[in-house]
Amino acid sequence: MRKLPVYLLLDCSGSMYGEPIEAVKNGLQVLTSTLTSDPYALETAFVSVITFNTDARQAVPLTEIAAFQPPQLQASGCTALGAALELVTKCAENEVVKTTPEKKGDWKPLVFIMTDGEPTDDIRKGLEDFKRYKWGTVVACAAGAGANTTTLKQITENVVSLDTTDSATIRQFFKWVSASVQANSMKVEEGGGELSSIGELPPPPPEVNIVI
Amino acid sequence: MNRSQRLAARHNAATRQLREFASTFDRAADYVGIPHNERERFLAWTIQHLWNIHTEERMNKRLIIENEIKSLGVYLPNGTVRKPYSASFTLPADKVSEVRLEGIEETGLQMTQTSPGVFTVEGTPLSHGDFPLRLSFATVEGEPRSEMTIPVAFNPDPRSIWKDIRSSQHEEGLKPDMIAEYVMVEADSDGSPRKDIVAASIQGRSHAHEGRARDDYFAVEHYPDSDWYVLAVADGAGSARLSWRGSEIACDTIMEHCRECLKDNKLFEEAIAAFSQDQNTSLRSVLTTQVSDIIYKGAVKAHEAIGRAADDTPDAAMRDFATTLMFAICKKFPFGWFIASFWVGDGAMCIYNEKDGSIKLLGTPDEGEFSGQTRFLTMREIFHDKDIVKKRMRMGIVPDFTALFLMTDGVSDPMFETERNLKDANKWKEFTSLLKSGFPDDGIPGVDLSDDNKDAKDQLLEWLKFWSPGNHDDRTLVILY
Repeated sequence: MRKLPVYLLLDCSGSMYGEPIEAVKNGLQVLTSTLTSDPYALETAFVSVITFNTDARQAVPLTEIAAFQPPQLQASGCTALGAALELVTKCAENEVVKTTPEKKGDWKPLVFIMTDGEPTDDIRKGLEDFKRYKWGTVVACAAGAGANTTTLKQITENVVSLDTTDSATIRQFFKWVSASVQANSMKVEEGGGELSSIGELPPPPPEVNIVI
Repeated sequence: MNRSQRLAARHNAATRQLREFASTFDRAADYVGIPHNERERFLAWTIQHLWNIHTEERMNKRLIIENEIKSLGVYLPNGTVRKPYSASFTLPADKVSEVRLEGIEETGLQMTQTSPGVFTVEGTPLSHGDFPLRLSFATVEGEPRSEMTIPVAFNPDPRSIWKDIRSSQHEEGLKPDMIAEYVMVEADSDGSPRKDIVAASIQGRSHAHEGRARDDYFAVEHYPDSDWYVLAVADGAGSARLSWRGSEIACDTIMEHCRECLKDNKLFEEAIAAFSQDQNTSLRSVLTTQVSDIIYKGAVKAHEAIGRAADDTPDAAMRDFATTLMFAICKKFPFGWFIASFWVGDGAMCIYNEKDGSIKLLGTPDEGEFSGQTRFLTMREIFHDKDIVKKRMRMGIVPDFTALFLMTDGVSDPMFETERNLKDANKWKEFTSLLKSGFPDDGIPGVDLSDDNKDAKDQLLEWLKFWSPGNHDDRTLVILY
């Protein structure tokens, strides 16, 4: 079985306290229930959650969607995005099976990064590690006015922004993430390989703006 | 003493005790100097305060236990509908009692205490969804019951959420979503059995889920007069909207072309006979030319036929018909079986010999860095490749064989996974034993490949429905055996 790994990097810094973090928790529920009712995703999608504030931590290791349980999230501290990039690369190196002559490995991982602020650590080391790995589609989401899209553009071509971090907007973002995972798991099951750019993902809802 | 005498004695004792307590209280109040008229209020005040301390202590005890239970991280793993579920958790038996899991009944599960403090949730989930179960328990006597939410999620059975929708092509009689064929070739005049063909093709679950047409196609034939067998298999590209026609046109064109070429072709058969005697270069090249005339020209014709179909279809281009193609012609001669083939795209075409466990792959699958990046018959550059003969055509004579397999990647991917495995004779042995045994766990019987077994076509059709997570493409398998 070839997994389709999905890494979610979620900002849990102090500024996410209150409605935003509750909305993210809710979003993870939306993601889980959407993917478990899709036959393609249910068979192929594996999800991991990496949270970052003062440091980065893998809250949920790469888990098949059928067994996935949304983690407890608490908002506090600063925004160690660099540490998160370093950690996700390490996790992928350990968890994603490489192709060998006898066995086809996993599909290239999808990465969704969501942050509402500026990184408070030096992201250069993490960014360097991150760039070395062969990812599938990487989408970075600048949530709310405080996030810096220029920094995110260094990580990936595919940057989207949310005008606000209210629950309705964040919910829409997670719905779009779910739809993107669905589209990708369908494509790989059809033998079409991974989706590689944002243009191939389902069109985002009006709340999610593509940053050019 | 009778009953009423006993009661009277007990009543007297209690009255005596109360009187003693009242006089002790009065003496103490006198000592402190509490006026008589305030004594009752003072007593109420005292009791109230002590009661407050008592209840606060009790509540604190309860809260401490509650927090301890919450910090245990009790959780229930996700389950699957109609699959037996069992999960256990442990609570400190000395601190909690009367443990209940509210809302469990409607899920179809039950909770039992299997040993002190160990609780097991078991049963078979009835329906899918998220269920916010409430774990409630008693802690301290006199305190309300404590409650915490333990969500549990039951997923649908992955197999049950695949929809099975007939394609419009099927409904309109343009192309059935599944088909099987058996070509029975009766025994020779001397009574020795001759090989039969069994073939089947089914719409993949991913296509059925959306009611899309089967892109795969096959065509098989045996010419009684010349005793030639022709087998063709094609797999239309999933991303090309008319590929279900492309695969059909490709196979049908090959059949028509080969029927013409192999009808009473003495020159060709003489060249094969000469080659069987002496496989030197000049005889080989004579035969290669003849084979090319049939095989290569057939592929070109198929390519051109698709081109014409594209021209005749408004708003369609050749790439909309993208399809792979593999085909083989074979005949049994006194000196052995002559087999020639052409293959563009993925899938697999292989001669399998059970006796010595050997295999002969009739070419190499075109696989890009990623699957799905295969080559198609509809690509012009295929025919501009000067190595086309070397790369895509095979010819040879083998003494005999158990089976010649042609299959699309819907079968070869789940069965072999990689190109390396396709070249591994052991993997082919495993494949043929799976073909025989079927998949008993899933209630899918095997295929009985004994001579003249007409039932094999329905068996093969059923066999193709095997379950393999992540592999739901159309599946086609053609066997000459």
